[in-house]
Amino acid sequence: MSPLTFNISHGYLEAIVRGFKSGILTSAQYLNMAQCESLDDLKLQLSSTDYGNFLQNEPSPLATTTIAEKAREKLVDEFQYLRQNASEPLSTFLDYITYGYMIDNIILLITGTLHERDTHELLERCHPLGMFDSIAALCVATNVSELYNTVMVETPLAPYFEKCLSAHDLDEMNIEIIRNTLYKAYIEDFYEFCKELGGETAEVMSELLEFEADRRVINITINSFNTELTKDDRAKLFPTCGKLYPDGIAKLAKVDEIDQVKAIVEPYGEYRRFFDTLSSDRSLEDRFFEHEVHLNKKSFLQQFHFGVFYAFLRLKEQEIRNIVWIAECIAQYQKERINDYITIF
Amino acid sequence: MAFRSEQMSMIQIYIPSEIAQQTASELGELGQIEFVDLNPQINAFQRAFVGEIRRLDEMERKIRYLQSQIEKVGMKIRPIDSPTNSAFTRPHTQKEIDELESKLSMYESKLLQMNSSQQTLDKRYFELTELRHVIREASVFLSQSNKPGDDGHREDTALLESGQDVAETDELVSGGDLGSITGVIARAKMGIFERILFRVLRGNLYMNHAEIADDVVDPLTEQPIKKNVFVIFAHGKELIAKIKKICESMGATLYTVDPVGEKRREAGLEVIGKLEDLKNVIDNTLSARKAELAKVAETLESWSIIIKKEKAVYHTMNQFNFDANRKALIAEGWCPTNQISTIQHALRNVTERTDSTIPPILNELRTTKIPPTYHKTNKFTAGFQAIVDAYGMATYQEVNPGLFTCISFPFLFAVMFGDFGHGLLVTAFAAWMVVKEKDLAKKKWGEVGLIIFYAPFFLDKFNIWDMMYGGRYMILLMGIFSIYTGLIYNDVFSRTMPIFGRGYNWVIDGDKIVGEKKNRNYPIGIDPIWMVSENKLMFLNSYKMKMGVILGVMQMVFGLVLGIFNHLQFKKPMYILAESVPQILFLLSIFGYLVCIIIYKWATNWDSIGRSPPSLLNTLIYMVLAPGSVQKDDELFTGQAGLQSFLLLLAFLCIPWMLCVKPYLEWKEMSKHSTHGYNNLEDHSAPTQIPGEASSPHHGEVTKPAAAEGGAGEAHEFSEVIVHQIIHTIEFVLSSISHTASYLRLWALSLAHAQLSEVLWDMVLAAVFTMNPNSAPLGLMFTFYMWFNLTVFILIAMEGLSAFLHALRLHWVEFNSKFYLGGGRPFVPFSFSSVLSDSETDD
Repeated sequence: MSPLTFNISHGYLEAIVRGFKSGILTSAQYLNMAQCESLDDLKLQLSSTDYGNFLQNEPSPLATTTIAEKAREKLVDEFQYLRQNASEPLSTFLDYITYGYMIDNIILLITGTLHERDTHELLERCHPLGMFDSIAALCVATNVSELYNTVMVETPLAPYFEKCLSAHDLDEMNIEIIRNTLYKAYIEDFYEFCKELGGETAEVMSELLEFEADRRVINITINSFNTELTKDDRAKLFPTCGKLYPDGIAKLAKVDEIDQVKAIVEPYGEYRRFFDTLSSDRSLEDRFFEHEVHLNKKSFLQQFHFGVFYAFLRLKEQEIRNIVWIAECIAQYQKERINDYITIF
Repeated sequence: MAFRSEQMSMIQIYIPSEIAQQTASELGELGQIEFVDLNPQINAFQRAFVGEIRRLDEMERKIRYLQSQIEKVGMKIRPIDSPTNSAFTRPHTQKEIDELESKLSMYESKLLQMNSSQQTLDKRYFELTELRHVIREASVFLSQSNKPGDDGHREDTALLESGQDVAETDELVSGGDLGSITGVIARAKMGIFERILFRVLRGNLYMNHAEIADDVVDPLTEQPIKKNVFVIFAHGKELIAKIKKICESMGATLYTVDPVGEKRREAGLEVIGKLEDLKNVIDNTLSARKAELAKVAETLESWSIIIKKEKAVYHTMNQFNFDANRKALIAEGWCPTNQISTIQHALRNVTERTDSTIPPILNELRTTKIPPTYHKTNKFTAGFQAIVDAYGMATYQEVNPGLFTCISFPFLFAVMFGDFGHGLLVTAFAAWMVVKEKDLAKKKWGEVGLIIFYAPFFLDKFNIWDMMYGGRYMILLMGIFSIYTGLIYNDVFSRTMPIFGRGYNWVIDGDKIVGEKKNRNYPIGIDPIWMVSENKLMFLNSYKMKMGVILGVMQMVFGLVLGIFNHLQFKKPMYILAESVPQILFLLSIFGYLVCIIIYKWATNWDSIGRSPPSLLNTLIYMVLAPGSVQKDDELFTGQAGLQSFLLLLAFLCIPWMLCVKPYLEWKEMSKHSTHGYNNLEDHSAPTQIPGEASSPHHGEVTKPAAAEGGAGEAHEFSEVIVHQIIHTIEFVLSSISHTASYLRLWALSLAHAQLSEVLWDMVLAAVFTMNPNSAPLGLMFTFYMWFNLTVFILIAMEGLSAFLHALRLHWVEFNSKFYLGGGRPFVPFSFSSVLSDSETDD
């Protein structure tokens, strides 16, 4: 992993990913897109970008979902290409990235089954990066231990799952707890893994993952106000690899309202401004996204590390969110809000 | 191709909007106008005809859909012979396009409908096939399970932990207390399926499965899938329900099979009957679909061409401007001046054809813009022009080196490649391409590659064939010239050709054999006697080296003379005196003199004078190092020292001449302009331009520095001129030496080629001639094959390529640098033929 030998096994893929990155839409292209009158205009605009004619064989009228789906398909193709050509330890690193999507898919399926949705419909909505063989069998599980024993035991997520094993039935609350526990375990594990890799990767990735962890902590705190979740349980859900650990986390576990959160986050310089002007048009969520984009962009400034792969995927996800946002605004004639996307470059 | 690029005119055409589309398409057929984008500030999707383009895109999508459908059933789309000017592919009126659109939608919806019904049928068929397999396999399982104790086919008992369980299950099955589920699942999922079932039911099941021998084709993806039939026995309603749920989520299809053997058989027969009926129906729909597609396949190609043309037309029309009351479109563009009448004729044609009351009006505009460069080429000159264009597109109306390249390029190539035999082979190959050019143009290179080269792998993947075919006339000339130089070098496959007999007699002088001169000279080229002499290489090297220098100096001086024509064309006659004359003098006074003494040395019979010939290399070196003196041994002629000092002085005089005169002229020009107040134009106009927009920050930025730096800018510009001239002068002086030396590659390559071919002959073929006469024919058979292969691949293909590259370099660097500016931009007319060939390469 030293700069001297990095390119032997990973140089090609790093070049590829940097190439992909230079195809990310720029603010000028977003400006053009925001001027579109219809989704067909948008298609025309996108065809002159790196997306090329990915919508070429779609009959008009286009639907926003088609655009999102196709854009995601393209991203997944790119990621799969990277994954297939990766060698150790990059391949494990890329696998780690997909675990996050796996968690999302599992939660989606369990929730869907709980509401008695059709399994196939649910499977179609799953993110292709988080698919695994036995995912379909998730729908038979009715409680947590069954879930673990039937399906999870052979997925890479099994060790994370051990931590939330209980015989509870699956209900909304429990699913949410499972999701957050899984995520906590996942982020901490990923963090450890990156630390083990050492070098630039550890440096870059720890910054990205620390932010990710802190974002989850803040979100969990805010979302758990006025719910049944006890404060002890809340504390258990907080990932412990962020900058807020341990002081901030300990304090956040006890708060009851948003102003207190603000006061606790105050000492952490980079997070302070998220709460500064909460009254302005940007939501907290958007500010988080903006900061994430900033961190991801920063990771491209260094070379010989794996952070670029993670950052690329994140930026691309943001880009797809942007495109979908613009497309939705066009489709629903909400032109005044069309500029609320988050510019990447 | 001509001496200069075509004269171009800026034209403006007013087209009444109702016939705009026809006019643009007519001009596209003509392909003589490069339209200028009149709305560069407008976004791609805000232009006037975006709607039409989008409609055509949609039609193209439909065509692609039809195409994929046709390809799926394995039919061929009928190709159009000459896509550019066929009457079928000429888009006539808007109405026809509308008709085409409705036709396309009709076919598409028809096909979609057919496909969906086909799909339902296929799905039904698929299910029935699976059911048939299930019934067949399940019968085996069930009849087995009814005979307890017969464990012959039971390999899957691994799922059960002990033989005791097996016995238990069997009892239960025979007792009829056990529920069973039968179904089909993809073989790849079998392992996971089993594992999950085992985990969920904690082993409380009995499962059996069998592979379906033939692949089942999935109607949705149309991919063949390997599948397994499985039977699961379990007891308890809940377990059965759970199993069913897992089956469904894993994508298995469940079929109910009657547990009673008799009924199973009946059901099996029924299924087979149904399958046959269904097969008939499917065949019928398939043939109906095929007939429909066959109809489409006939005309699809021409439709696709029409639409491509239409799209190009609208893209072009998007560059046009509307006039004030939107009654007419205004097009502006460049066209060759001599084509204006043709364009006008085409415009008249359109008017007549459409019965329009208002004809399109063509105006010639006067403009200061620099027109694009257009070299009219034919199939012969195109290749040579391409060589020049690859270096740089000629500035508008400057001397086009392509004209001279036509001859000088193959000639310099031949100097390096000179071999009568190799030249003959190359000529034959090129002549074949030229004679068969019409047939070959249609073929794809792969097929041709097979014919020419018995080693098709050689041509695999890379497009070397297209390159050779494109340059067939160049190769022809290269071959012919090589025959000529081979004759001069008297070299055929490294052997000699004593056509006219030798000019020497053999005389034995002691232990040596010496050539004695006969009365006559060998009439053409080098006397064959040299080929067997000991000092052959010394003689040939000296000859070829000197020839290289002579050819080089000739070509470079010619290039400098062409510079004079450029100065005349660009109305800078003073530059002839300031630049061309000193350059020519410089080159001639040193290297021109060298050429003179080379020829003088050749022409003198040194033997008859009775002294050894002087070394020219020393002469040239001492001419510079010790001017004004010539050593007695090295003297060529009387008065040599004086002449040399004069020439050297002249050459040194030329350097400050080149360095100073041109900047002085420029400076004078500038100061003349400024005294007339011309260069203040910008400063004066700036304030008048911006009063209304003074607040606009953009304008402010641009004009402000210009006004402030009015005086400084000029000085800056002048210093740039001086620096440029210093660089230019140094470069010329240094390069005149290095370029002359560079022409020595003519000698080096020619030597290498001759030596290689001699080595090949000696090492491979010559050995056979000294063999036992009995085995020689066999040996010859084998070695000739080897020798010929190596000759073709190494001596002709690879050596030819290397000589080609060196000739290219001599033209680009040594010749072009003497006069060629190459700062133009190519003329890219709007033409359907280029639109269509572009889209072909895209595919």
